[in-house]
Amino acid sequence: MSKINHVRLENFTAFANLDQALSPGVNVIIGANGTGKTHLLKVLYASTAITSGEDQDKGFARKLLGVFNPYQARMTRLIRRQQGLPAAEITVTRDDGARLKAVIDNQKADVKDVRVTGETKWKGAGLESAFIPVKEMLAHAPGFLSTTSKREIAFEEVYVDIIKKAFLPTLKGPIATNRHRLLTAIQKAIEGKVVSKGEFFFLKNSQGELEFTLLAEGMRKLALIWLLIQNGTLLSGSILFWDEPEANLNPSLMGEVVEIILELHRIGVQIFLTTHNYVLLKEFDLRRKKNDSIRYISLYRDEKNAVVANASDSYAGIDPNAIAGTFSSLYDRELKRSLGGIVK
Amino acid sequence: MIVLSEGDLQINLPAGAKGRKFDDGMSHGLSHCMKAVDFIVELDDKILFIEMKDPDHPNALSRDRKNFHKKILSGDLDSDLKTKYRDSFLYEWGGARVSKPIYYLVLIGASALSEADLLTRTDALRRQLPVLGPGEKPWKKPFVAGCAVLNIEAWNKAMPQYPVSRIGI
Repeated sequence: MSKINHVRLENFTAFANLDQALSPGVNVIIGANGTGKTHLLKVLYASTAITSGEDQDKGFARKLLGVFNPYQARMTRLIRRQQGLPAAEITVTRDDGARLKAVIDNQKADVKDVRVTGETKWKGAGLESAFIPVKEMLAHAPGFLSTTSKREIAFEEVYVDIIKKAFLPTLKGPIATNRHRLLTAIQKAIEGKVVSKGEFFFLKNSQGELEFTLLAEGMRKLALIWLLIQNGTLLSGSILFWDEPEANLNPSLMGEVVEIILELHRIGVQIFLTTHNYVLLKEFDLRRKKNDSIRYISLYRDEKNAVVANASDSYAGIDPNAIAGTFSSLYDRELKRSLGGIVK
Repeated sequence: MIVLSEGDLQINLPAGAKGRKFDDGMSHGLSHCMKAVDFIVELDDKILFIEMKDPDHPNALSRDRKNFHKKILSGDLDSDLKTKYRDSFLYEWGGARVSKPIYYLVLIGASALSEADLLTRTDALRRQLPVLGPGEKPWKKPFVAGCAVLNIEAWNKAMPQYPVSRIGI
């Protein structure tokens, strides 16, 4: 199964010229607010989403429009704001050589005028993918899909997509051992299984069925992963995009989430995630095994205020590390308080 | 200038400071029942208790180094550090040498420890000693004025007047 191995973003949203090789394993994207972490995830997701299901008809340009949802559907709003406003270019490359490219001209706001090349070959791969947004959506599923199909609402398409994925029926046939092990591990963490009745999700265990609205948000996220593995969205060769897995999660559960992500990677799922969280980052560092493939991509603004990236395959090599950096100031102040006049 | 060394690590103290190796079986005399910090340093207005751990010692095995890092990060080392301080304090108190506020400095020769790790361990040590009395109120007679866990880099940044360096065995 092919993986995404490269992305290039020119004059797109916060990026002036991002040219980044990607890991076939886990890609951990860090950076301060406003450095385009989620944008990067969305671009890549738009490229994979159009290779399967109903999004195939939509095509790359329309999928970009849907996931970014710019004001008045004007694609030119996705061009990096600067003097002269050159065209924006997106290029995504796969390890099978397929290359998908989109160019947004500064004079043409209509999505029909976005020039896309390489789409036919690109769509041939049929990559399954899922994008888990920061806000948990399963509890709000009832009525959501029918509303979005009839009304213009200000939700980016990633929210609609994830609910649709969660509703997919269980995959037929026997479950491979490694997937079974993963499902069991998650069931242990959430203490039950997920069942749906109509558009409502429940956590089912020996004590009965608990509706999702009564379930802690962190638990709902793990429940969603369980559903995606069970219904075959997350299989070897598929791609998972997870925006801030730490949101609403107690730090004590972070280790289990990282273990699940690493296990998914070990069965052949390519993963892209963003994080602001030190514990999550450190858990990856401590739990990674020798053959695990993890790349940390640090996004930051250069002197021209354009977002650029530094990548490292080891935790120690992350530079700049916006997350650890915040601790630096806290530690300095703690030393001053604790040691009084000894600290110069 | 006084130089205190333990294994591959050394601290330079300014002239006028009085420092002694404390964790020394012979001179301590009670090591069978009391634990001891490595050094006690007397300055004009304060006393420093210094404990050194050196997982990055040049002769340390890579496996031992990893195990020690885990031990630090998990907090398993905290109780050992606490006991060393309290026993050393009692020993000095019994010897009527506690005449100034005491600061407890733990130097860990591990460059891989981040400032987040050091902050977490400093917080944990404050709670374990504990620096404050019941109800988070100051002790009427404080037995520790402050404490910190540092690596070489953090130490030299915070206290350049007492520089720490590797001897280079």
